[in-house]
Amino acid sequence: MKTFEEKWTAWIDGELSDAERAEFEASLEDRAAAEAEKDQAHKLGAFLKEQLQPRAMGNEEFFHHQLRERMAAETNEPAQSRPSQTRESWWTIRRLLWTGATSLALFAICTFFVMREQPEPEPSQYLTQILNARVDSNVSPNATVSIFQTKQDRVTVLWVDGLKSLPSDYAAK
Amino acid sequence: MNRGRARPKMDTEATAAEADVPELDLVRQAQAGDTEAFDQLVSRFRTRVFGMIYNMVHNEQDAWDLAQDSFLKAWKSIARFRGQSSFYTWMYRIVMNVTIDALRKKQVKGSGAEFNDEVQLKEIEPASRTVPHGDALPHERIEQKEIRGRIDAAIAQLSPEHRAVILMKEIEDMQYHEIAESLGCSIGTVMSRLFYARKKLQNLLRDVYENV
Repeated sequence: MKTFEEKWTAWIDGELSDAERAEFEASLEDRAAAEAEKDQAHKLGAFLKEQLQPRAMGNEEFFHHQLRERMAAETNEPAQSRPSQTRESWWTIRRLLWTGATSLALFAICTFFVMREQPEPEPSQYLTQILNARVDSNVSPNATVSIFQTKQDRVTVLWVDGLKSLPSDYAAK
Repeated sequence: MNRGRARPKMDTEATAAEADVPELDLVRQAQAGDTEAFDQLVSRFRTRVFGMIYNMVHNEQDAWDLAQDSFLKAWKSIARFRGQSSFYTWMYRIVMNVTIDALRKKQVKGSGAEFNDEVQLKEIEPASRTVPHGDALPHERIEQKEIRGRIDAAIAQLSPEHRAVILMKEIEDMQYHEIAESLGCSIGTVMSRLFYARKKLQNLLRDVYENV
């Protein structure tokens, strides 16, 4: 469905079919005024066409020269920047996702093996001394030695019960 | 709608030998990187392109720069030209994009007082009641420069899109569908813009063209 503006323009430019033109002209309230307006539009068109003839471009050779220079610069520039453009375009969303997932999987596998092969932590020097210390069962038959160790707090508690004396060779160094 | 009307043969500035080469051949060669072929295309269209831009921007230096930008853009994107329209129409699309962009930027920088497309319909009298203004200068006294100044001032009051439409239609004799292709809009939009642009210019220039 054409608007009035579209029909009017087509009517001015003689672009309506016979049927469309007849229908449009029948719809005009003031046919004479419309015809005069059409005439005005044609006068305007002829006037603009006459007055606005293409303006001659001065120094055409320089225009070509300048354009060729710019074209040459543009041709060389993309050639230099092509590798970076290619690199940028290689990282599609899909590739990014695959790369991310693969990296995570590799990280998980490496972490697993590293954690599995990690040696048991060595007991502290203090604990070793206590464990190596022998309690003489003859001297202290009811002696018990308990060790509590909290590594995260770096605390070791030695609970000794029933000892009459500490072993002579025990000393914290 | 009658689209079969032949457009007047396009004037070109190429030499006779150059003019023998079909436009599409030059385009194909330019697409293959032949700068000489593209240079010939520039020769064929430069005056029309420059003239069109000049009528839009009313400044020689700006028109020169925008014509340069348009041809450079055409060179950079000529590989994407598929021949679905004429090279002329495709080129005009680039020209219009570049020019309208430039005018829009200028409008943002300026006062914004330009491009008033509102047509004050009450000011447009039916032609049957229109008479030349009594205070208008007699045509003998209106100098060409003044006429041109009036036209430029009137066109400057149109938005870039309305300028483009009226110039392409009235000066370039382009068909509605060609204008629509060049501006990337519908034929209906072209016709509607043409309606308002004509009304506006009739309102502003009636005393001039009635007296010349």
